[in-house]
Amino acid sequence: MLDVWLGGIQSLLQVRELMFLALGMAIGLMFGAIPGLGGATALALLMPLTYGLEPFTALALSGGVMGAVPMGGSITAILLNTPGTAPNAATCLDGYPLAQQGKAGLAIGAAASANAIGGIIGTLSVLAVLPIAKDLVLLFGPPEFFLLATFGLVTTATASRGKVLRGLISGGLGLMISFIGYNEVMGGERFTFGVDYLWDGVHLVPALIGLFAVAEMINLSVRGGAVSSNAGAVKITSMAGGLLETFKHWPTVLRGSLVGTVVGAIPGVGGVVAAFLSYSMTVQASRNPESFGKGNIQGVIAPEAAINAKDGSALIPTLAFGIPGGAEMAVFLGILVLHGMQPGPMMLSQHQTEIYGLVWALTLSCILASFIGLLFVRPLAMITLVDSKILVPIVLCVAMVGSYAIDTNIENVVLTAAFGILGYLMIRFDYPRLTVVIALVLGATAERSFHQSLMIGDGHYSVFFTRTICQILIACIVAWLTWPLLGGFFRTRKSVVLGREGRR
Amino acid sequence: MKRLLGTDVATYGPPAFLFVFTVAYLIVAYGYSPASRAFPVIVAWSMIVLVTIDLISRTQTRAGRALTRWLIPTAATTAGHDNPLSRVEIIAVSWVAALVAAMALIGILYAIPLFVFASVRWRGQRSYAASLAIASITTLLVWLLFTRVLRIELYSGLLGSG
Repeated sequence: MLDVWLGGIQSLLQVRELMFLALGMAIGLMFGAIPGLGGATALALLMPLTYGLEPFTALALSGGVMGAVPMGGSITAILLNTPGTAPNAATCLDGYPLAQQGKAGLAIGAAASANAIGGIIGTLSVLAVLPIAKDLVLLFGPPEFFLLATFGLVTTATASRGKVLRGLISGGLGLMISFIGYNEVMGGERFTFGVDYLWDGVHLVPALIGLFAVAEMINLSVRGGAVSSNAGAVKITSMAGGLLETFKHWPTVLRGSLVGTVVGAIPGVGGVVAAFLSYSMTVQASRNPESFGKGNIQGVIAPEAAINAKDGSALIPTLAFGIPGGAEMAVFLGILVLHGMQPGPMMLSQHQTEIYGLVWALTLSCILASFIGLLFVRPLAMITLVDSKILVPIVLCVAMVGSYAIDTNIENVVLTAAFGILGYLMIRFDYPRLTVVIALVLGATAERSFHQSLMIGDGHYSVFFTRTICQILIACIVAWLTWPLLGGFFRTRKSVVLGREGRR
Repeated sequence: MKRLLGTDVATYGPPAFLFVFTVAYLIVAYGYSPASRAFPVIVAWSMIVLVTIDLISRTQTRAGRALTRWLIPTAATTAGHDNPLSRVEIIAVSWVAALVAAMALIGILYAIPLFVFASVRWRGQRSYAASLAIASITTLLVWLLFTRVLRIELYSGLLGSG
């Protein structure tokens, strides 16, 4: 096995391959930072250009793009509450409050190092798992997928501590929206009201740009001033501070990386779930959960570690089964096919050097992109000092054009604005946006798996309770759901008792 | 302000809206085949229960206060969230709507300079020269990146394409 690993490194450490890796990295950082574009768009645009390249060079270029996109996305997520890519939306939750406090540099530093460490841990996990990948992925059937989706929703709702009820309502709203469009299980369209654009369902990236970028720009516009009210703190921000924070919170990095690795390996679940699940688990594990959403550095580290760890493991279903984990992997799959590599079980044995070379390219790109991100912390943090009266129209325009550019559809812009207004109303009336996002991502998977499970179980719900992984997931769901509610109940009891004692 | 069960009527606004929205959603869902509506209906009925609890939690009754402490303990610290939208907020939302309408009508490349110029000049109270410069730079960057580098044809608008 070691000789294959080394063979992969050796193939990558050629001048030509390294140059294309660097080029891919630069493109990845740029596409990651522009809302609405992301890795899938970058790879799609590059795909025809790779035709004239050697297969391994094309893989190095693709690895460079995929490894750098999350870092680019995290920069705009932190500075402008505008996730460059969908998974970076989780980084907004605490990254942006940190930027508002004048700690943008600290947050970007932490994101960069978490990215790099997450990438390395993800790679190590993939190297360990690739030989047994086939057996692992096959453990998950429709009932497990349904319960995993439910688990993702429950953990996210309960992560909004102090607002479990509103978290669940937001999740319900997100699910209801996710059912819009063509019903791929039963056929026919639902809730489209004759609008052709909605047949494909609510497009995720325009919706995310609206929920985060546009909503926050409306909020900033109402509030006035700049993103950060603390100019002094922005200037003194050190890169080392962010780096140290990541090492100080090593259990968070480790947890995030493991979540990213596991979730990334499950087809169709993807980076958004990995990032939000990692964030939710970190909130659950924290002794100070109330501080999340207000600028807790762990809220940046957890999703960033998961996003990059996910990238490596997402290769497992793509390469082993030809089942892409998400849009980015779907385009990457096209590049593989274009270069004569047919993903599937045979690929794991026939193209080992290419596979391991790609894994190393991805890792190297994660690390180098993080360093480049760190180099630009100071100048980038200055964006947060720009007056909202200038920043808001510029960001709104770029966000709207980015949304349009996804598939050159003007309806995307309308959808982005609609979700922007929804997002602002949610901020205003104190409903968490987190669960809407996770529900939008998981809604279709949950419904499809629900129907498939019932078909497997001849219409009986017992199919969800008889399988071992299902039982573990159900136990986790019950524990996650009841713990905060019990906590609230005991708080009520305690306050009643204290009230009685006070009256005495 | 009118009060209902010890609470301003406006406070019930968000859950009341969600309740009406969910009921309408359910009515539409029941128009689909049983298999097609199965999952949406489960979710919508769950929403009805959750939103009803949210409505009750906003009352100043014993049950309402207990539910707030139990399920939304941070509600007390988020005072002001339930006020109706102010004029400033409605204007901010209207600017976004104006941008979208302009993009759809006159096209992206004309809407951007107009929107940025108008925002910076009249909302930002900057000089004509500064507003013009910011609008031009933004448009140039968008054009360079999306049209030249990415080779994406920007929407020319309903009026432009006609």
